[in-house]
Amino acid sequence: MSTFSDASGVVTPLPKIRRPTGFSGVVPAFAFVGIFFVAPVAILLLRSVLEPVPGLGNYAQLIGSSTYLKIFANTFIVSGLVTVISLVIGFPVAWALAIMPGRLTSVIFAILLLSMWTNLLARTYAWMVLLQRTGLINKMLMGMGLIDQPLALVNNLTGVTIGMTYIMLPFIILPLYGVIKKIDPSTLQAAALCGANRWQCLTRVLLPLAMPGMAAGALMVFVMSLGYFVTPSLLGGTANMMLAELIAQFVQSLVNWGMGGAAALVLLVVTLSLYAVQLRFFGNQNPGGR
Amino acid sequence: MKTTFAFAAVAAFVAVSAPAKADNMVFSSWGGTTQDAQKAAWASPFTEKTGITVVQDGPTDYGKLKAMVEAGEVTWDVVDVEGDYAAQAGKNGQLEKLDFSVIDKSKLDPRFVTDYSVGSFYYSFVIGCNADAVKACPKTWADLFDTAKFPGKRTFYKWSAPGVIEAALLADGVAADKLYPLDLDRAFKKLDTIKSDIIWWSGGAQSQQLLASAEAPFGSVWNGRMTALAATGIKVETSWEQNITAADALVVPKGSPNVESAMKFIALATSAEPQAALAKATGYAPINVDSAKLMDPETAKTLPDQQTASQVNADMSYWADNRDAIGEKWYAWQAK
Repeated sequence: MSTFSDASGVVTPLPKIRRPTGFSGVVPAFAFVGIFFVAPVAILLLRSVLEPVPGLGNYAQLIGSSTYLKIFANTFIVSGLVTVISLVIGFPVAWALAIMPGRLTSVIFAILLLSMWTNLLARTYAWMVLLQRTGLINKMLMGMGLIDQPLALVNNLTGVTIGMTYIMLPFIILPLYGVIKKIDPSTLQAAALCGANRWQCLTRVLLPLAMPGMAAGALMVFVMSLGYFVTPSLLGGTANMMLAELIAQFVQSLVNWGMGGAAALVLLVVTLSLYAVQLRFFGNQNPGGR
Repeated sequence: MKTTFAFAAVAAFVAVSAPAKADNMVFSSWGGTTQDAQKAAWASPFTEKTGITVVQDGPTDYGKLKAMVEAGEVTWDVVDVEGDYAAQAGKNGQLEKLDFSVIDKSKLDPRFVTDYSVGSFYYSFVIGCNADAVKACPKTWADLFDTAKFPGKRTFYKWSAPGVIEAALLADGVAADKLYPLDLDRAFKKLDTIKSDIIWWSGGAQSQQLLASAEAPFGSVWNGRMTALAATGIKVETSWEQNITAADALVVPKGSPNVESAMKFIALATSAEPQAALAKATGYAPINVDSAKLMDPETAKTLPDQQTASQVNADMSYWADNRDAIGEKWYAWQAK
């Protein structure tokens, strides 16, 4: 018990500071999340079964329409594509970052973070300017004589994939870097000593050890892509619309909250199931612990 | 104890975001150059005259508007919306009836006046073209749908709203006075013929960008955007052949805490001088019939209200009744 004596010499015991135990300490946080996050989502989902008439009509309409199913499929295809390409590009970058001298690492990190902090809309418009028919990329390719007609790089699947991959890259590089950095280089030396060639070093040692980071990064990118709105709507055409755009149309243009809520619930369920799968298979974040 | 604190914090947060009270009202519009012009032409003189501050907000979002009205927490007092939405929301009881003892409707173009809304400004969908980028510019809707004569991408408005379906039917040879009720199947069939050549624009700025970059060298755009493009020095051509008019409307959401100020604001915004000032700044037409006299003839003749020769009026009341059904078909067709 610490004490405190004032000028007159009276000793008063300091009030005891008790650490909150059990549930009471997290009540404010729970209250906050409950009021500002769970409740609105719950209300929207309720509306999906209550409006315009009570029942599962909205869901029947969503699942029964080939157009909406196409949008669901397209959402998964684009998200999958972006995830795979981000992994293929992100892994070598993360690996290079992990083995580079420190000063160079901080320069590359600065570039990564600066691009992440730049306004998303600005970055998306920048890609539009680069990719359009009279854009830099087409002009360059035509100037080099590689093509004689401008390529259609924007307002289609190509544009969406390029733009989204670029935006997602930091989200895959950062977790991968963290994992690769922790891998003991002597494991690779040991593999080489035991006669593994370079390819075997990569596939049998490095990739398995980096798997938790890859899974975490891939899941994050995939889930973020599922709900992406700005980039697909600006760089894509309507023929490859994604789910978030459909929800926005229901809510903002048609003011049909029932359908919007139904589409949102489908997205939420898919996202949570993916997360469950990830926890089940890669929940153990201890590399090597099988 | 801690819970009380959390709730107190929440309560304080809610209190801070409570709606504006007297001597202060909120106007929501679509942002960008149009809202800047509305602020200068309407809000500033209104504040000068009445002492009521007008807070600018936006962009207008129908989902948000519906949520406000339903929750009884209306933070927008006057909202600039599209004409077809205004007609529909009025019918659905989401808007306050306008007080025509305050708003003088005798001078307003009757095409754009209902019990719940008056025009804000009106615009035409015209056939815009970047003349530097192509050999020849399409002159009619039929031209715009003719990919053999005019190869390349063309741009159209992305959202379900009056304009594109009408253009498709006119291109297919439907007479302007026989447009309504819209033959949707025929329109979609016509749109199918050029679907792979359409690039959609979702906002005015994007339509300018598509035309200027020749990503889509021609298309159906709001006339005001052609005025803005011409001002940037690009050689543009605008065809007013069968230009399709639609109007924005001013409405007051049901439950607005400042209905009186809102009515006064609408009264001023629709009077001759502020309407003329807005038209000068935007290239959209005034809905007050006395405004044209107040403008220099050179500017006045570039506006949609002078382009009545072959003008087609989109039927807002038809759209209000069929907005949802058309919207669902429209987006389903787009995504196919």
